[in-house]
Amino acid sequence: MEKILLKKALPQWVKALASYTVYSPKKDKEESWNYAEIDHEDFDPNFLNTTLPPKKILFPQKEIFLEFSKTAEGSQETLEVKEVLPEKKAAVIFGVRPCDARAAWLLDKVFSGEFTDPYYWIRRNQTTLVGLACDAPPSENCFCLSVEGSPFSEEGLDVLLTDLGDRYLVKSLTEKGEKLIQAAKHHFHDPKPEDRKKVKAIQAESVKKIKRQLKDARAVSSKLKGSFESPLWDEESMSCIRCGICTYLCPSCHCFDINDEVESASPLKGNRVRTWDTCQFPDFTMHSSGHNPRPEKASRLRQRLFHKFQYFVETYGQFQCVGCGRCISLCPVGIDIIKVLDKVNKHGS
Amino acid sequence: MAKIEDLKEEAKKLLREGKVKYIIGYGVGSNGWMANPVFVKKPEDVDALVWDPTCVHNLTRFLVDEKRRKGKEKQPDTRPVGIIVKGCDSRAIVVLLQEKFIDRKDVYILGVSCEKAGVVDEKKLAKKLAGKKPSQIELGDKDQFIISTAEGKTEVPVAEILAERCLECKANFPVIFDLMSGDKTKRTPEKPFGSIEQTEALSPEERWNFWKTELDKCIRCYACRSVCPMCYCDECVVDSINMAVAADTTAEEKSEKIKWIQRSPESSENFVYHMVRAIHLGGRCIDCGECERACPLDIPLRFLNKKLEKEAKELFGYEVGFDVSQPALISCFKDSDPEDFIR
Amino acid sequence: MEANVYIPKLAKIIEIKEEVGGARAIKTFRTVFTNGTQFEYRSGQCAMLSIFGKGESMISISSSPLVKDYLQFSVLKMGRVTSALHELEVGDLIGVRGPYGNGFPMEDWKRKNIVFIGGGIGLAPIWSVLQTALLKKEDYGELSLIYGARTSKDLVFREECEELKKKMRVFLSIDVAEPGWDEFVGFVPQNVLDKKPSSANTIAITCGPPIMIKFVIRALKDLHFEDNQIYTTVENKMKCGIGKCGRCNIGPHYVCKDGPVYSWAELKNLPQEY
Repeated sequence: MEKILLKKALPQWVKALASYTVYSPKKDKEESWNYAEIDHEDFDPNFLNTTLPPKKILFPQKEIFLEFSKTAEGSQETLEVKEVLPEKKAAVIFGVRPCDARAAWLLDKVFSGEFTDPYYWIRRNQTTLVGLACDAPPSENCFCLSVEGSPFSEEGLDVLLTDLGDRYLVKSLTEKGEKLIQAAKHHFHDPKPEDRKKVKAIQAESVKKIKRQLKDARAVSSKLKGSFESPLWDEESMSCIRCGICTYLCPSCHCFDINDEVESASPLKGNRVRTWDTCQFPDFTMHSSGHNPRPEKASRLRQRLFHKFQYFVETYGQFQCVGCGRCISLCPVGIDIIKVLDKVNKHGS
Repeated sequence: MAKIEDLKEEAKKLLREGKVKYIIGYGVGSNGWMANPVFVKKPEDVDALVWDPTCVHNLTRFLVDEKRRKGKEKQPDTRPVGIIVKGCDSRAIVVLLQEKFIDRKDVYILGVSCEKAGVVDEKKLAKKLAGKKPSQIELGDKDQFIISTAEGKTEVPVAEILAERCLECKANFPVIFDLMSGDKTKRTPEKPFGSIEQTEALSPEERWNFWKTELDKCIRCYACRSVCPMCYCDECVVDSINMAVAADTTAEEKSEKIKWIQRSPESSENFVYHMVRAIHLGGRCIDCGECERACPLDIPLRFLNKKLEKEAKELFGYEVGFDVSQPALISCFKDSDPEDFIR
Repeated sequence: MEANVYIPKLAKIIEIKEEVGGARAIKTFRTVFTNGTQFEYRSGQCAMLSIFGKGESMISISSSPLVKDYLQFSVLKMGRVTSALHELEVGDLIGVRGPYGNGFPMEDWKRKNIVFIGGGIGLAPIWSVLQTALLKKEDYGELSLIYGARTSKDLVFREECEELKKKMRVFLSIDVAEPGWDEFVGFVPQNVLDKKPSSANTIAITCGPPIMIKFVIRALKDLHFEDNQIYTTVENKMKCGIGKCGRCNIGPHYVCKDGPVYSWAELKNLPQEY
C-alpha cells in the first residue's frame, strides 16, 4: 500500500511511536553516522549510510544467553541456570538502506532452518525496518546491482520510503509496516500519479549512478570452486593485517563466539555471553590441540570470499554479499573484494 | 622534492640481482588515486610504485609478517626485504631494531623525505573537496597540495589537509636508510605535543567522561592493534581468546591462562584493552597515526599514545625511535632517573 | 515457543571411569538428566557439555542409543573445559544440550559386515555404532575391530575390548613394543594392511588422529574399498553446535550440523581444510 508523507510531518510520525524504541541515523563526526535512539529528530538530509549496519540492533555485539550461579547451604551446593531473553520492547529503525535490509533478509535464513535462534528472532520480530531508497549510491564503493540487489529493493523491509524532495512516497510492505503507518494515519495522504512517475524516474537515475560493478557475479561464483588452490589468495592477502573490520562492519556477516563470563569465582556467578567473532582472526578456527585448519591469511581471505559468493550460494541460492561497499571503504590496507573476484573471474577455470 | 623515480632504479636492480626477496611499497589502489600497500616481486613491476601525499600507511607493519613467515619455514630465505619508508615509518624500524625483533640485514631501506609537507588526512580532504572526486594528489613547490579532479586542478595549502600527526612531525625525513630521495632539512614542530593540550586541560572527571564516550564506541575489531608494527606479540595479554599453543602446551597451561578481559565490548573491558595497549607502547610508539586512521569509529587513539610519548620525554628525556644504539626505554634505567613516584 | 536451543539441560554424573591417566588423560562419564528425561539420538551424534564458568565442549555420545539409562561420553583432557570436566566427581552437575550432527547411516548397512578402525580417543565416536551393532547382531554381518594407541596405557575401553573378543574379532595394536604385549606392534594403518579386512559387502568406519585417518583411508583403498564404503567422523572447533556461529565449516557444510559423519565419497569433494 502506498501513501505520501510530507517531510515536515515525519517528526509527528516519530512522536506517535512513543511505545517503540526509535532508532535513526545520527551524525557521529564528519561524514559518519550511526544508529542512535531518538525521540523527535528529523532525518539528516545529507545522510549517506551508517558505519555500523542495522545488524548492530537485530544481532547485537553482546547478547547474554543465560545466567549461572551456585549457592551453598552448608555442605549442599546447588547450581542454578536461568535463561535470559532480550527485553520485549517494540523497536523501529528509520533510514535503513535497501542493501542493509537485504542483509537482514539473508540473516533471517541463517538464524532459522533446522534450529531457530530465539535471541535473533525476538529482536527481529519486534523491530520494524523503515527503509530509505537510495537516489544516489551512498558510497563510491556501492555495487548492490551486481549482487542482485538494487537501490530500492524491498527484501527485509517493512516500509520503504522514497525521497521526492519535499515529501516521501511511503510503501508499506508487511503487516508490521502497515501497523506503523496506522499509528499516525492522519499524516499520510494518497499519492498522485505524478508521485509514482517521479519514483520511477528516481529509480532509473539511481541505477545509472552506480559506478562500481562486479561483472558476472553468478559466473564468478561457479569459478570460485576451481580457484581453491590458486596462488591468487596468497598474493591478495599479503597486505591483510587480520583485523575484524571487514566482517564486523559487514551487514550480513554473522560469525559469533560464546563464552562464559565469570563475575564471581566463589560462589560461582556469571553469564554465558554471545559476542561477534570473525573468521579473519588467526585463532578463529584453532582447536584446543593447537591444530588450525586456517593458519594463513590466504586461507582466511579465501574463506570470507568463498562463504559470501560460493558456500552461501550453494546452501541458500543467494549471495551473502549485498554490495554495501563498507569492507572496501574501511579496510585499512585497501583490500578490495570486487578486485579480487574480478581476478578470479579472469583466471578462473 | 622526493621522487619515486630516484628509488626505482635501485629497486629494479635489487630485484634483478635477487638481493631482496620483494619490495614493500605503495601502489595506486582500486579507486584510482589513493595509495595502498603493494608487494613488488619482479623488476618489471617496480613501475607500479608511487610516492605521493596519499601514502599514509606505515609499511613497517609488514616486516612483522615477514618475520612470522620466516618463522614457519623449515629453510627460510634469509635475504632482506626492501621497504619504502617515510620519516615516521623509519623510526618504527629503529624501535624494531632496538628491541632486536629484526636485524639490520633483514631490511633494505628506501627512504622518502616529506620535506615540509606530509600525508593527507582522508576525511579533511573529502570535506575540502565537498563531493568532488580526486584523480590525483601531488605536492607542489610552494607548500601546497595540487589536487586534480574532473573539474580541473585545485591548490590547497598543505597545513589545511595534512594529517594531524604531520603537524607535530619530529622526523620529516628517514632517520635510517640505505638510499633516500628528497631533502634532509629538519623541520621542528612548533608544538610537538599540541594535539593533546585540549584533553590535558580537562579535569579528571571531564577526562573520564571524554574517554568513556569514545571507548564505549569501540567494537574491539582490533584494527588499531593489527595495524601497529610494535604490536607484534603472538599472544596479546589483553586478548582473552588467543593463545600461542604449541605441541607441548599442557592442558593445565591452557586451562590456567588468565582472561584479563572478556570479549564483551563493555566499558570496563574496552578501557582495559586500550589503556594496557597504550602502556605497552609507552616509549615505543612513534606516532605514525595508523591506529587512529584504521579505527572505523573515529576513536581519537593518538591522544593516548601521544600522552605517553610526552611522559617518556619529560620523565626520562627519551625520544622514541631515533637512535638504534640506545636501549629500549623500559629495558634500562639510569641512576639519574626520577624516583618521585616510587614510595 | 519452542525450547531455547542454546540452554543446556542439567545432568548428573553417575559414573566416572579413568581410562587413561597422565598428561593425556581420558575419562569416561555417564550422565542422566536431572529431570528424568532422555533424548532420542543416533550413533555418531554428539552433545555440547557445559561446565558453567568454563564453557562448552562438543563430545560424541559413545553409548548406544538402544541404552536408555544414561548418556556416555569419553573425554580427552585437552584445554579449559575438558580439564574442568576431569576435575568433577560423581554427583556433580553439568549441562548437556543436543543431540547434534548427522549420525551414521546404520539403516543402510543392514546385513553388511562392519570393520571398526580406531586410534586413541577415536574409538569413542564409533563405540556407539559398535555397541548398537552388537545389540542388534542379527541385522548385521561380521563385525571386527582394529584399534590401537601409542602405548598400552593409552588404550580406551581396555576391559570392554577384551570382553568383545568373545563376540567378534578384535585386533589391538600399540606403536612401540612393550614387555607383555603379544599383539600387533606398529601404527593402526599398518595393522589394517596386516589384517586385510575384505571389502566384499563391508563398511569400514574409522576415527582417530587426522594423520591416522589419512593413512587408514589409503590402506582401505589399497584393499579395494570403494569411497562410499569408507566412513569417518570429522572434528572441528565448535561453539554453537547448530550451524550458526560459522566456526566449524568445511566448505558449505557445518561439521556440527551436516557432519560429523562423512563417507569418503562425500568428504573428498569438500575443500580439504579441516
